[in-house]
Amino acid sequence: MLSVKHLHLKHALQTVCTLEAVILRSFGPEGGQVLFTRDTGQAMLSCSGTQILKALRLEHPLARMVVECVWKHSAVTGDGSKTFVLLLASILRLIHAAASKAPGVSQWSTEAAEAATARHLADKLLAFAMTELDDLICVSVAPHGFCVSSEDFTTKTQLPSCPNGFCVQALLSSFFHTRLDYVHCDFLSGLACELLGHWKFQNDTLSFALQFLNDNFPALHTQVSGFPVSSSHVIEGQVIHRDFATPCLQVNNQPVKAVVVTEYLQPKLLRRGDMLDLGCGGRVTGEKSIIPFSAWTERSLESVIATLQSLGVSVLLCAVKQSAAALALAAQAEMCLVECVSEEELSLFVRLSGVAPISDCWMIQPENVATLTFCKPIQLGAHRYVHVAFCDSEERVGVKPCSLVICGSGEVQTEQYASAFQDAIRMLFTTWEPTRMTETTALKKPVQSHQCTSLNAHNLTEDTVCRSSDVYVLKPGCVIPAGGTFEFLLHHALLQHGRSCSASNYTNTGVGVSQILADALLTVPRQIYSHNLKSFLQTQTRVTSFTSNQPHHFMLLKNARGTTEDPEKGDEPSKLFTLDSGLESVSCKHQLLLAVLQCLTSLLRVNAVVRTHTALHSASHTHAKMSEESADDETED
Amino acid sequence: MSRLVKKSPSVCTDLPLDNADICNKLRLMRELLGSCYGPTGRLKQIHNNIGGRVVTTSSSSVLLPAIASSEPFVNLIRTSILHHVRRFGDCGLFAAIFCLSLVEQAKQSGLRAKAVIRSNEHLASLCTDYLKQGGCGCKVKLDLCSGRDLVALARSVVSSKPACVLTEPECVHISRLAVRAFLLTVPCDTPGSVSLGQTVRVSVEGLPVTHSAVVPGLLVDTAEDVYLSQPCSLPHPLVLFSASLAGDLSELGDGLIEVHPRVDSDSQVLSQLLELGNQVVRDGVKVFVCQKVIHPVLQLYLTSHGVTVVERLGVTLMEPLIQLTGAQPVATLHSAVQPTAYGQVGGLSVRRFGSKTMLHLQACGESAICTIILCHRNETMLNELKVTCQKAEHVLRLALREPSALRGGGCTETHLAAYVRRQSKSEVPALGRGCSQTEYLRAAEAFCRSLESVARSLEHDGGTSTIDPTHAHRWTRPSDVATERRGVGAGCCGCGSLDGRETWTSAEFPPADLLRDASVQPGVLDSFTAKLNALQVAVETANLALDVRYVIRDVN
Repeated sequence: MLSVKHLHLKHALQTVCTLEAVILRSFGPEGGQVLFTRDTGQAMLSCSGTQILKALRLEHPLARMVVECVWKHSAVTGDGSKTFVLLLASILRLIHAAASKAPGVSQWSTEAAEAATARHLADKLLAFAMTELDDLICVSVAPHGFCVSSEDFTTKTQLPSCPNGFCVQALLSSFFHTRLDYVHCDFLSGLACELLGHWKFQNDTLSFALQFLNDNFPALHTQVSGFPVSSSHVIEGQVIHRDFATPCLQVNNQPVKAVVVTEYLQPKLLRRGDMLDLGCGGRVTGEKSIIPFSAWTERSLESVIATLQSLGVSVLLCAVKQSAAALALAAQAEMCLVECVSEEELSLFVRLSGVAPISDCWMIQPENVATLTFCKPIQLGAHRYVHVAFCDSEERVGVKPCSLVICGSGEVQTEQYASAFQDAIRMLFTTWEPTRMTETTALKKPVQSHQCTSLNAHNLTEDTVCRSSDVYVLKPGCVIPAGGTFEFLLHHALLQHGRSCSASNYTNTGVGVSQILADALLTVPRQIYSHNLKSFLQTQTRVTSFTSNQPHHFMLLKNARGTTEDPEKGDEPSKLFTLDSGLESVSCKHQLLLAVLQCLTSLLRVNAVVRTHTALHSASHTHAKMSEESADDETED
Repeated sequence: MSRLVKKSPSVCTDLPLDNADICNKLRLMRELLGSCYGPTGRLKQIHNNIGGRVVTTSSSSVLLPAIASSEPFVNLIRTSILHHVRRFGDCGLFAAIFCLSLVEQAKQSGLRAKAVIRSNEHLASLCTDYLKQGGCGCKVKLDLCSGRDLVALARSVVSSKPACVLTEPECVHISRLAVRAFLLTVPCDTPGSVSLGQTVRVSVEGLPVTHSAVVPGLLVDTAEDVYLSQPCSLPHPLVLFSASLAGDLSELGDGLIEVHPRVDSDSQVLSQLLELGNQVVRDGVKVFVCQKVIHPVLQLYLTSHGVTVVERLGVTLMEPLIQLTGAQPVATLHSAVQPTAYGQVGGLSVRRFGSKTMLHLQACGESAICTIILCHRNETMLNELKVTCQKAEHVLRLALREPSALRGGGCTETHLAAYVRRQSKSEVPALGRGCSQTEYLRAAEAFCRSLESVARSLEHDGGTSTIDPTHAHRWTRPSDVATERRGVGAGCCGCGSLDGRETWTSAEFPPADLLRDASVQPGVLDSFTAKLNALQVAVETANLALDVRYVIRDVN
């Protein structure tokens, strides 16, 4: 009944290499996009590794496992899904090579021994990454990048001419390059910077703002098709994706009073399951006619509208569809009514306006009334929406709310831009994530402290400012020039580490591990420059010569020590490296490496696939009341 | 749970532009759309496989939804263009032909996709910048004070739709009507921001086109034997109900109502309705309109008291009627109608168009609501005429925002191509790593050829298209067969602002200014806003198509 298929290292390798071949088409500066149609017939366009892999609907269990890992990783960081597959494939290839020529393979089962060696190597790789990678990155890679602090961030987004403003935009721009067609990336990154600048909460951290944006992104953007991308813009206030249900008559520009209603304005006489008994005279509630009940609901609606009118309310935002009578009475009272507003938009509105929604219409208080600067219809593409802006939100919430209008020539394109935007916000969040690094380093502090200082002594200056309580911590917002710089630097550092380990008579397995990781890392820049090998060598030479020439000039340290009052220093390395290649986040890269190695170990721990007869079949058999013979047949199968 | 089926793996197409099948489909689509382009374009008949109605058209807004392909790659291009048409109502075929020939030219040139994309983007911004600047040789300022320019603009739209089957005088008549309807929707004396009114289109089959007309106010479908009260005092008060008056109570909730046999709910509700009718009659209302159904007893009661009743108005006419009369819709049945809810009707008359009897409601004072009655001999042509008028209105509205137009008849395209050729030769921009100078020059040549191929698509009668070196306008030399048929265009350039008597002198750019001579006005004008957007959308879509490396189709 069960079919067991043993999995060997080469199966894993084959699977991952196939995935790699798919991904390579859209990787790097020469990569293109992938068009796919869902089972619903809806078309989507994407350059995102996760979406491509998920769209393939793969059947092979190993492949599905890898896709799952990629998906989990990119759901958190929003970045690096293509590099993930690339790195995984190259590490697997190296492990395969190492395992197949490993000494002491006994004759009776080469494959089992191979698998064991591979598993062992993978475990060691993961252990190495968990303990020492952090410090290697902090000490040998991060110093060559620089820190964009959250304060820089706001000033620069408001003043795009300021040189430092370039940093976040460059970071976003190179992120968009991995996701969209080349030509619009600069425009979109400018737009994203503008949006983030508006959403910087005065008394909160940047990561709070990013988290807020990530959570509310669906309500904060509007997709408009039929226009070129360059028509996208940021508008003040919030767009509610519904039209007025009543004719919108108001033209005055005074502050507008609005309330949020979550229930029916006209009370429902009977709930589901209730029963009204008509015509049984004699009882207390017995009525001869339906008319009084109907009249009662109308009268109560009238009084609700009258209360609202007395509070000066002129806009009603409702979560549900209201009755025709409610619409007519609201129109007569010169109120604008918006029906069926989605829950997330209402909650954002409530959050930004600072008022509580009304569920029971009899309990309206002045505290329920929000004040808006305006509330007017806005025509975006084919749809008319409601556009609101909030009074004194800057004092209350500490932010100037605004929304994003994303234009594209079709829905497929706008959808793609929107998802790239959301991933960009996730990526920035990972870059500026405040606590995660500190926790992990603090945990393993006793293990590594002596090693690290010894083997990186030549690379360290005493005044390391990225050091907090004797642990090397990657500062939030650390970025590094893109185009393989991270990989070259880490490659270099890993090789040096390996050498110093062997010199200090460490067990030689550590060498193998760092060698594998170092070699695997080089695949990424090799693919980036696949069309132009000359520039691969040029970049590598430039990066390595830079590290050997100036081992003590740590830009990160300078910048951090000055605690951001001298942002000019942060710009120095950008002159040394050419900035036209863009920037990327160090912490995203670091998390990517950890995720890849975790995926690798879990991949190599599997040794067989057991195909069970699915519950689907047996269920259908029992439903069909199959006799025992068929069950016997099944076992014979 | 009925049945579970295992998900099957997706179907994957690598490099769709190298796929012969997809290329064939794209070429077919370009030929199909190209043959519809312009005033002499060929018509297409669309009919579905289940015996539906046959539609004859050459308009992109009807064609594009009809030619849905099973190939997602082709659909990607199609929907992009369709979205443009829905937003701007014009230049859809231009965008489609331009986009498809850009893709085709890029493929023929054999350049790297990334290089073509970067060059195309640069060239498109070169074009849009040129079109936006004041001294652009193919832009014409529109004089909104004179009707002549507006009629010319509307006429270009109407005449580019051969499926309407209009003769020359009919074409002029319809263009004039479109402009007249447009002017009626512009409110006269509103300070501050102006909001345009609405044109309601009514179509009547079987009458000649010249019977089409524009009337201010609203025409409402009504019963054959409509009762019209004698005009005693103008204006007539009007009441407008948005709730159903058929005697149902819908707002009670989801619960059950158990009715004792002795209770007659229907008559109770009806008496409530009659009470309402009684009040309305007492208030002196002369016109009673309901969005939904009115109970026949109530109708009878109202007509017997001299009230004109209109039921089943429909939700689309509610807003124009509210604007026209100033009435507020009423939906309460149990309380008296507020005096403020009544509206006013300035004039009330019955008009007959062919088989249709309609009630004509006019506003008391100024109103930006008008109705255009379109007549044509049969349904197919009438449908196309409706689409055409809608487009003309859209184009005129766009012109209000940006009072310029582009020279039509292919002259803008040839002029732009000449400009791009010259610019790309004089200065080659640095496009970064992705694109070398040679690649840029070749991509620019492909871009120009695509623009010219759009202009060439205007000719269907076997004539040859030529470009003059002075103004870079498009000229057609008709083939012998078609000579008699083409009376006007033979001696003029595409847009009609130049005639063949000039001698070509210089080959300089920017070309000689045409606008110095005020008497030379082009006869064919295209909407500026629509064409600019069409250009950008076409280039963006072509770039996207070139960038796609994989097509993954989920076949579940």
